[in-house]
Amino acid sequence: MPLLVGVFDAPGNVVGSIERLRNRGYDEVEVYCPAPFPEIDDALIEKPSRVRLFTLVGGLAGLFTGFLMTIWMANDWQLVVGGKPFTSIPPYVVIGFELTILFGGLMTLLGLLVFGGLPHGRFGVPDPGYSARFSAEEFGVTVRCKERDVAEVDALLRANSAKEVTLVEP
Amino acid sequence: MPELDRRDFLKLVGAGAGAAAAAGCSERVTKLIPYVIQPETITPGIPVYYASTCRECPAACGVHVKTREGRPIKLEGNPAHPVNKGALCARGQASIGRTYHPDRFAGPLQRGSDGKLSPIAWDQALDVLAGKLRESAAQTWLLGADRGPTGNEVLARFVSAVGLGGRIVYEPFAPESLRAATAAVFGIDTEPLFDLSKADLVISFGGDVLETGSSPTEHARQLAEARDVATKERGGARFVYVGPRLSMTAGNADEWVVAKPGTEGILALALAKAAIAAGAGAEGGHGALASLAGGLDPATAAARTGVDAKTIERLGAALAKAKAPLALPPSTGLTSARGVATAGAVLVLNQVLGAVGNTVQIPAGSGTKTTSYKDLLALVDAMKSGKVSVLLVHDADPLYSMPASSGFAEALAKVPFVVSFASSIDETTNAAHLVLPDSTPLESWGDASPRPGVRSLLQPTLAGLFDVRSIFDVLLDAGRKLGAEVAAKLPSGDFRSILEAAWSDTAWRDALARGGVFAETAPTGAPGLAAGVAKLEVAEPRLDGDGPFTLLAHPSPMLSDGRGANLPWLQELPDPVAKITWQSWAELGQEAADKLGLVTGDVVVVETPTGRAELPAWVRGGLRDDVVAIATGQGHGVGRYASRENDGQPGEVRGVNVLSLLPTLTDEAGGRAWLCTKAKVTPAGRKERIAFSQASDNKRQRELGETVSLAALLGEGGHGEAAEGEGVGEGSAGEHEFIVPYNAVDDAAATALHRWGMSIDLDRCTGCSACVAACYVENNVPVVGEEQVIRGRLQAWLRIERYVTEGELDYRGGRPARSSHESLGNVDVRYSPMLCQQCGSAPCEPVCPVIATYHNPEGLNGMVYNRCIGTRYCANNCPYKVRRFNWYDYNLKNFPEPLPLMLNPDVTVRGQGVMEKCTFCVQRIELARQKAKNERRAIADGEVTTACAQACPTQAIHFGNLKDAASVVAKKSADAKRGYHALQELNTRPAITYLAKVTRGSVEG
Amino acid sequence: MTPPPPAVSVADMIRPVPTPPDSQANQDILAVMGRPTLPYWLLLGFLVAFVHAAGAVWVYQVYEGLGIAGYSHPIFWGVYIVTFVFWVGIAHAGTLISAILYLFRSKWRNAINRSAEAMTVFAVLTAAQFLGIHVGRIWKSYFILPYPNQRGLWVNFKSPLVWDTFAITTYATISIVFFYVGLLPDLAIARDRSTGWRKLLYTALALGWHGTGRQWKAWNRSVLHLSGLATPLVLSVHSVVSWDFAMSIVPGWHATIFAPYFVAGAIFSGFAMVLTVMIPVRRIFGLEAYITNYHFENMARFILLTSLIVGYSYSIEYFIAWYSGVEPEQTSFWYRAFGPYWISTWIMIICNAVVPQVFWFPKARTHIPTIFVVSTLVNVGMWFERYVIIISGLSREYDPAVWGLYTPHAAELTILAGSFCFFAMFFVAFIKIFPVIAIAEVKELVIHERAHGQGGAH
Repeated sequence: MPLLVGVFDAPGNVVGSIERLRNRGYDEVEVYCPAPFPEIDDALIEKPSRVRLFTLVGGLAGLFTGFLMTIWMANDWQLVVGGKPFTSIPPYVVIGFELTILFGGLMTLLGLLVFGGLPHGRFGVPDPGYSARFSAEEFGVTVRCKERDVAEVDALLRANSAKEVTLVEP
Repeated sequence: MPELDRRDFLKLVGAGAGAAAAAGCSERVTKLIPYVIQPETITPGIPVYYASTCRECPAACGVHVKTREGRPIKLEGNPAHPVNKGALCARGQASIGRTYHPDRFAGPLQRGSDGKLSPIAWDQALDVLAGKLRESAAQTWLLGADRGPTGNEVLARFVSAVGLGGRIVYEPFAPESLRAATAAVFGIDTEPLFDLSKADLVISFGGDVLETGSSPTEHARQLAEARDVATKERGGARFVYVGPRLSMTAGNADEWVVAKPGTEGILALALAKAAIAAGAGAEGGHGALASLAGGLDPATAAARTGVDAKTIERLGAALAKAKAPLALPPSTGLTSARGVATAGAVLVLNQVLGAVGNTVQIPAGSGTKTTSYKDLLALVDAMKSGKVSVLLVHDADPLYSMPASSGFAEALAKVPFVVSFASSIDETTNAAHLVLPDSTPLESWGDASPRPGVRSLLQPTLAGLFDVRSIFDVLLDAGRKLGAEVAAKLPSGDFRSILEAAWSDTAWRDALARGGVFAETAPTGAPGLAAGVAKLEVAEPRLDGDGPFTLLAHPSPMLSDGRGANLPWLQELPDPVAKITWQSWAELGQEAADKLGLVTGDVVVVETPTGRAELPAWVRGGLRDDVVAIATGQGHGVGRYASRENDGQPGEVRGVNVLSLLPTLTDEAGGRAWLCTKAKVTPAGRKERIAFSQASDNKRQRELGETVSLAALLGEGGHGEAAEGEGVGEGSAGEHEFIVPYNAVDDAAATALHRWGMSIDLDRCTGCSACVAACYVENNVPVVGEEQVIRGRLQAWLRIERYVTEGELDYRGGRPARSSHESLGNVDVRYSPMLCQQCGSAPCEPVCPVIATYHNPEGLNGMVYNRCIGTRYCANNCPYKVRRFNWYDYNLKNFPEPLPLMLNPDVTVRGQGVMEKCTFCVQRIELARQKAKNERRAIADGEVTTACAQACPTQAIHFGNLKDAASVVAKKSADAKRGYHALQELNTRPAITYLAKVTRGSVEG
Repeated sequence: MTPPPPAVSVADMIRPVPTPPDSQANQDILAVMGRPTLPYWLLLGFLVAFVHAAGAVWVYQVYEGLGIAGYSHPIFWGVYIVTFVFWVGIAHAGTLISAILYLFRSKWRNAINRSAEAMTVFAVLTAAQFLGIHVGRIWKSYFILPYPNQRGLWVNFKSPLVWDTFAITTYATISIVFFYVGLLPDLAIARDRSTGWRKLLYTALALGWHGTGRQWKAWNRSVLHLSGLATPLVLSVHSVVSWDFAMSIVPGWHATIFAPYFVAGAIFSGFAMVLTVMIPVRRIFGLEAYITNYHFENMARFILLTSLIVGYSYSIEYFIAWYSGVEPEQTSFWYRAFGPYWISTWIMIICNAVVPQVFWFPKARTHIPTIFVVSTLVNVGMWFERYVIIISGLSREYDPAVWGLYTPHAAELTILAGSFCFFAMFFVAFIKIFPVIAIAEVKELVIHERAHGQGGAH
């Protein structure tokens, strides 16, 4: 199936064209942005990212690990230290906290890889339709459509002030 | 034992390790190791004790030699011995090192044509010696120290049999003046015995009996008994010290009378007069006194002694009032050209006070004629004029310990053949032609008799590490080589059999087991005064040279006459007063120093008619400003530790030998005079780092060395660092509103049978440092050397802090002056042993990341060396700073062969990078636990004690189980009036309770 | 592509900014990574050499023992711990700028956060080494980790040093993650414009980043969460480090103010270090268009603020020492100001509390040489602050008999200098390997401004 690429300058136009394409029933739409523009991502994917779930799970896991580890280890072999109780929570809060952050952070990274679909594609092989311009300051919108729809998509993209539209795959 | 439990196994391993360490040292030693045939007396891991006698000084204390697998590893006092009753001084503790000293000769040596000493076989050596004796017996002299009754007898027989020129008995610190004085005053040639325990008022005329007297350990114990606040009423005996310097003894007195040096005799007579005026002396002595102290009314005496008349009258009255007064004569440092007269005057005072026969005993004189210093000087002249062709030197180092001005060096150079019997290198041996190494006291048989009725035995406790022989056997063998008629005149058999024969009047085995025969002689009663008294000329002594200062050459408590200088422990043990290690220093009074513009650390030039020396000054308030004081003992050019060899500078002299400054003077009777010259002191214009072990003597009113006034103690109100419960040390930081009372027993597991604790009685602690030495030996504490001490890396687990007065909150910047708070006449010196307090809530424990230190169920603050990674946080957080860190691998570097053989196999030798500290000698506790465990009971009180407590001459330290309310330590710790804990406002809950020193105030008239 | 119009300074870009030419940012910023010059090689060579020299000294220390350092009996911690705390402090600017300013949506951070994050990572690595250099038995230092062992022995979680281990490890990990995540888009940019080994490297590191919708969506969320996690972490790490001291009973250490005091000090020194490093970097690589006086001024403001906090802490310490009525505390502080360490103390007070006050004047805040001098002095001052706290605290403790003095020895000073070289070595290498400015985030601004400049396309 043919693949069209529209090149944009302004994120607003990208959002506009995504919405219109969607309305016309074109679902195989992908965008390439040089910089983070939440409005574009949201236009493309409504649901909020589930990375936050990972963070939460990681954090809680860390917290529990921290406290369970400290308390268990302190009581596994009870050695009196400075006349303090074996299970003395205040000092263990520090460990609990640090592990919360550590696990939370690592899980967040994992979340990024999972939900960001990374690593992406084959090693060193860019997507068709991707261009170095999209890591400059231009936006790319690729649409995969039936041949008969090429003209319409092209028009639609241009209508949304795409600088140029090219057909990269027949 | 029923089955091999873990600890026994470990001990076996330990023994094996010790074996491994010992192996390769000499094949003799290796025989100790694998018990293919087990010796009956030895169980691996269980120490065996042998009774013997300490030969470090003439006091002849009895010791128990602790051996492990046939190796002596520690000396402890023999409780049965009347002299030391179980205690042992620092020098005694360290003397074990002589046997394992890296300098020891492996066998006989002869100086070859190349001028170097090279090994020869014993047979050859004996032939050489015999040959020399055959050539020129009459021109052969024997020079050395007393070797005990039997030893002396054998030597005497040898001298006469071979026909030697003679024997000179040489003891540098011998109290010859006192002996001569006794002869003059009482007509008996003997040494009086002083019993401080019976006295209620002791006045010491420069007698430093607690550190360098004739029997320090014994006298310290006696003084402590006499002043025991628990048993004696009103604080027991009072102690007055007369002398120019705040010595250790002076620091333990109630009053310090700062008299001009050399005028002690005058003061004694003046006091006698004043005492009579105050109604003393029903007993005789008045007549003699009249002739001696005719015009000595307080005023003139005051003018001559520098002590104001009021004090003289007051003290005179006090002496008159005292029931059992005791006057002590000067000891070595203050023995002047008028030594006999001075000592005589003191004896007369005793006589007047009726002390003789009571606190002073005049034993019957021993018939044997003893040689004196003047005989030695005569020998020196003979040597100079080439009349001596062979000199046999034993147990003495005259080349070092004779004043340079005596010309001994040139004299010795004139002697064609010098034989030394030293077991390791010293100055004289370094000049000897033949070295026949004697066996060390731990390897040899012998006996000693410090006083009539006390006969003490030495027995070997170690198969000779080296190919050495007893001097007696060597001389006997050499003598027998001279032919039948000589041999006939010599005693038969080897020295051991001769000794046994000499003791045939006793039950030999029992004596051997007990350490000797101790028959306390009945008091001799008071002999009347002899005619000799009249001849005493009590006056200011002759002092050579001129100059503003009088040179006080006082004996070093650790190095003594220099014989201790090659023992690393004694070098590193801080001087009890100066807290200086490894060095020589000149003490200067504060004002004198100010006049010269000197501060501590400035190098000064001390000049006398007979010599000059450069050494750093220690400026202190506790010294008369017309006196410069230098300790004996340093200034050796040979010896691994005595010289700078161990610092990598072989042949370099360490410190200054004060004898290079002294003229050769004798007292009236020809005894040796020490106080004999004036000196000039000038700044050398450079500085030297002094190896202080203590930064400051300013307590800053913190709760460390506390005192409590007698009034407060007796609840008589009055001002004083008063005594409500914890109230010792009013004025200390924090005023105690933070102090939480606690019971150390709570800091042990409820199920544990023991809570180990300690009590330290500062009123008994004299600062002698015996405990420190004991700790070094018991716990394999490394000696780190001068440079490291200067860098503040002393490794002592136990130190004695010396604070003067409550101190003040001075905010001077920079390095605190070492002695800012002494002043003339002030005796407020607090000696406070500081060791791990085994805190109940120890600050060091929670900060250790790896639990290398923790609180064990019996309340000990355990230190796990293997676990330590060396973050050193524990040491930062220890307010007492009793943790020491292994900055280097002392384990390897600081125990040169064969020193590792004396390591205690029960104590880990710490490796590089770990923290170490006192654990109340946990190895001793575990040893005692074995027995208790087998008998299924708690360790009984007194069954185990720490090395420091064991060594303490005054029993200031008590160790034991706090859970046992009946234990001594529990009772002592309960003392509400004197008990306090170091820095208790920090609430670290220490297991050590200090009992505050009692300030008794000066003596009332 | 339309031909690029002439470049304009970004200085006026922020308020209001003319649109820079197409991918001008890429060209400028990637230009920094261009072929290294000879001076660069010389510098890098020197740094590497010195690091090795210091390493050799350290090996000798491990072999010989810590005795070769200046430690003495009362002073068991010295230059190593001082330097450890110093570098941990430096490490704070990065995460603070990236995380906290991110949450506050202060966009000006974009110009400096990359280099700041890099500094964070390198500083933490440098600091972490000193824990090892400091301990007596490095070969046993793994004991500090709670790993199962046949001794059945764990670690002491009550010890601040264990907290420290966890805090530093966590901080290092999170900083690296943060750094990497932020770097992803720029790696893609570099990948698209490089050849040879760089191409391989960036392709691998970029994980095939295309800037697709889902990638950005996940990325945005991750950065948000990482910031959320990193913010308390930044504040906690130096608090924990401060507790290494505050949890002890050493007079001069045992103070509740330590946590906020140290955190402020860390941010203080961190910003100073960023300035000290970025001013020359900007100059050398002509990044004036991206790192503007405006950024420097904002950082100067931060330095002023934190300097005030630090100065306040100094005075409070003295007040409490006096007010507590605890004599050892009072003595300790007296000696701190007038004792043997007075020089260090006054260097600390002047550099940290007095000098930064010039930033009250806008002229000083925008005068680059002034900023450079001040920030350098602050770095010096902050090193001495730790020196004073640690050394003077330990040298005057409870028992006057064992008071002592400490002077650093050659070994310690060499290793100290080595640590600066170690840090610099990484940074110098980083300049040539990764974009020193977060290009993507700069573009975010650029594009936004351009869009608004054109009045939007809707």
